[in-house]
Amino acid sequence: MAADPNKLAIFVTSPQNMRHVVGIANAAKKAGKVPMIFFTYKSIHLTKDARFKGLAEMCGEENLAICADSYTCEGYDSAADIPAGLTANQMRTQAFHGALLDECGKYIVL
Amino acid sequence: MESLKVYILVANRMYCDGVRSGLGLAVENHYAYPVIMNGEFPTFSTYMTENIAWVMDMEGQVYSCGAPAPDNCVDEEGDKLIAEISLEELGEAMREADFIIPYGLQKQTNEPPPACAE
Amino acid sequence: MKILQVYRSEPNDQIKTLVGILNRDRDADEFFLNVESPDYDQLVAKVFAADKTVCWW
Repeated sequence: MAADPNKLAIFVTSPQNMRHVVGIANAAKKAGKVPMIFFTYKSIHLTKDARFKGLAEMCGEENLAICADSYTCEGYDSAADIPAGLTANQMRTQAFHGALLDECGKYIVL
Repeated sequence: MESLKVYILVANRMYCDGVRSGLGLAVENHYAYPVIMNGEFPTFSTYMTENIAWVMDMEGQVYSCGAPAPDNCVDEEGDKLIAEISLEELGEAMREADFIIPYGLQKQTNEPPPACAE
Repeated sequence: MKILQVYRSEPNDQIKTLVGILNRDRDADEFFLNVESPDYDQLVAKVFAADKTVCWW
């Protein structure tokens, strides 16, 4: 499958850039683009940010996921405490990052 | 699916998880090159050492840039698993990269206190 | 090739060296996120105009 030129991958690896994640995702949406976001490692703490649920709802189930192993490693319960705005289907592996690289025409790390 | 060349730069000792992230891409058939900058090495647990070896098995390579490759991360023959690369070599190599991922956070100013130094 | 360098904090000398090599003979642009109110619309436009984006720490 060729990368979609309208899709923007946002790979979130830092726990301190939520304003940029939300700002870029909103701007992409406004520009008619599709943000696709993966939160990994310590960035999964951002799932507890009050802005996370709205971000997840805007992106939709197919286009936002978190690393379930990272969530567990950081002490959260990936079965009983799925972050607000997510379903169990969005608790994923690093393969979702592979999908970002394959599916998105543009890519940014935060 | 095209195999992509991905460099993952780790500048902070807390973010050596970038190696696992690279391995995740390697098993998806991409070429992963995690680079540990300035000697910010992880503790070489069996898990970490196996991941570094696995990245090599998948035709990637873990590099050390700005510090000698550690001699406590070796294969069964005693050969170092981490290769050294200079900053200039890294820049030139990354010109051919499909993706460059500065991972996590920048290096800290202060040395870690005993509570988290190990 | 159009390459976009994005900075989340002030770049140090190592980053400047790498950027210098990456930008050589290329059409390079930059964007700073470490300001009070980044213009995210402009950043998205720059990302989509570039062939490659590197977002430094």
